Amino acid sequence: MMRRLLIAGFALALLAAPHAKAEDTLNPPRWQSEGIFGSYDKAALQRGFLVYQTVCAACHSANALHYRDLDGLGFSTEQIAAIASGIKLASGPATLDDIFKNPYPDPTAAAAAFGGAIPPDLSTIVAARPGGTKYVYRLLTGYAAAPGDMNLLPGHYYNTAFPGQQIAMPPPLKDGQVQYADGVTASAAQEASDVAAFLTWASDPNLDSSKEIGLRAVLFLVFLSFVAIATKRKIWRESV
Amino acid sequence: MSETKWLDTRLPALESFRAFWSDPVLPRERPYLASLPVLITGALIFQFVSGLVLSLFYNPADAYNSIQFIDRNVNDGWLIHAFHETGTTMIFGAVFFSLFRALWLRSYKAPGEVLWFFTIAQFSLLLLVGYLGYVLSDGAVSYWSLSGTISGALGLNSFPGAIGTWFFGGADGPGTLARLAVFHAVLALAVFGILFLEYLARRGMEPKVTRGVGLHPYYTSQYFAAFVVFALIFAVLVFFAPHLGENPLNRGPADPLMLPVSVAPPWYLLPVGNAGHVFPGNWGSIFAVLARLAVLFALPWLDRSVPSKPAGFLHKLLVFILALDVILLAIWAMQPPSLIGEILSVLFTAYFFFHFLVLLPLTTALEKK
Repeated sequence: MMRRLLIAGFALALLAAPHAKAEDTLNPPRWQSEGIFGSYDKAALQRGFLVYQTVCAACHSANALHYRDLDGLGFSTEQIAAIASGIKLASGPATLDDIFKNPYPDPTAAAAAFGGAIPPDLSTIVAARPGGTKYVYRLLTGYAAAPGDMNLLPGHYYNTAFPGQQIAMPPPLKDGQVQYADGVTASAAQEASDVAAFLTWASDPNLDSSKEIGLRAVLFLVFLSFVAIATKRKIWRESV
Repeated sequence: MSETKWLDTRLPALESFRAFWSDPVLPRERPYLASLPVLITGALIFQFVSGLVLSLFYNPADAYNSIQFIDRNVNDGWLIHAFHETGTTMIFGAVFFSLFRALWLRSYKAPGEVLWFFTIAQFSLLLLVGYLGYVLSDGAVSYWSLSGTISGALGLNSFPGAIGTWFFGGADGPGTLARLAVFHAVLALAVFGILFLEYLARRGMEPKVTRGVGLHPYYTSQYFAAFVVFALIFAVLVFFAPHLGENPLNRGPADPLMLPVSVAPPWYLLPVGNAGHVFPGNWGSIFAVLARLAVLFALPWLDRSVPSKPAGFLHKLLVFILALDVILLAIWAMQPPSLIGEILSVLFTAYFFFHFLVLLPLTTALEKK
């Protein structure tokens, strides 16, 4: 009897575990990289890269990024090599030292595809927009039906987050557009949150090292400032 | 004959260096804040070294991408870049604070006038160097700021003679940033020259003390303590708030076909440059900056007080309000344009000149009676 209860309890705990672990980061949207001690959530970055590669990369370039940089997401060199070899450049399969594939040969071709609106380069998009990560998330989830009294420009969509509320980018994300390897449900909001995390990393790949060095430097300097002030006082006491 | 004596006779400079280092001629009660000039000098040397490293990889013909390259592909390039960026914040923070302190203590009055002129010259030069550094970033905002400045400068074709041609090299083009990179470095070096003049003026002002202390170990230990605290603030900013007071839009690449939504410059240019849109026209911004610096320059004459008398409560209150005025003006300049913002900017700018041209001469003249 006791044993059966224990087993049942264990099974229950196992069932409950994933729910306890996966905290809701969508309501309200938040990211591990936010705040003073924020750092990147590698699992979210990898999911975000999947969304980026499947959806965004079809129209956007990221000229500051090389495939080798993906080791910052926690991928091994073999994994990156496999990712790169699946991407066809004009010169053949991509290698680690290639820049992220630019879907258009030149800006004119890009402009022609979208009625004059060139899809911006995404390397620094989070750094270069007020609101950063949150802005990208709000933009990707901000599509709605236009208010009745609004006349949209041809080829434009209503978006609550975009300045001017009219954007030339069609709604890019929908539920289940990708299959996450780690079992997270790929809702449109989850995809937007993950790709926002990935683009945050793309804008500032050195955030983790910066915080790491910074913590050591600050602790050391706090200690040193006590020593320096004590030394100064001792020297001056002896001057009298 | 000892070794030291032998060297002293052949290198007399050693003796004066020793005197400078340890002769007990310095007053005893200098506060920690009096080490600000030393800290500024140290920060400028650090800035010079980090700038030197950046200049090895910076390519003015493809400026934005070369900075991306430094941040992402040069070993520790992001760190050196962050040092240079936050170093600017630290230097301007210290410079603005020492200007405030000089106004507060009235140290520009006799015999400090010449020191004050050097301080303002150094401040003006630093603003120029800071502005050039800002436009070298070739971001979406600085590109348009530079283009506006150049078109204003090209309009000034009388004396002092075609500044737009000999400084900027004519209309904004592919060669402009290469020129400005050179000016950025050379003028930064010139700041060291002014710092030396300031040092000479400060030494000349110092009262002779009979029972004082030597530079070492007394003031070296004080400078060191001040330096460590300064470095601590620097470390907090560089690692945890690396883009403090910057316009995020400027982190994107320049686009000659698209004006950014906000054109706010980095924070350290706001207290002087923000009055620009209050004065209309191409030359408005240039005039606003020059007028502000000119008023500061004339300060020893605008203040009618007796030099030996310490500043009273009224004076300190006015200086405090002035500092508040400058900060509020800067805050308003960062907001998106609005009617109320425009009105407040005009009011705050007017108060700045009202303080120096009316309030200060009046109150100090009354105080004297």
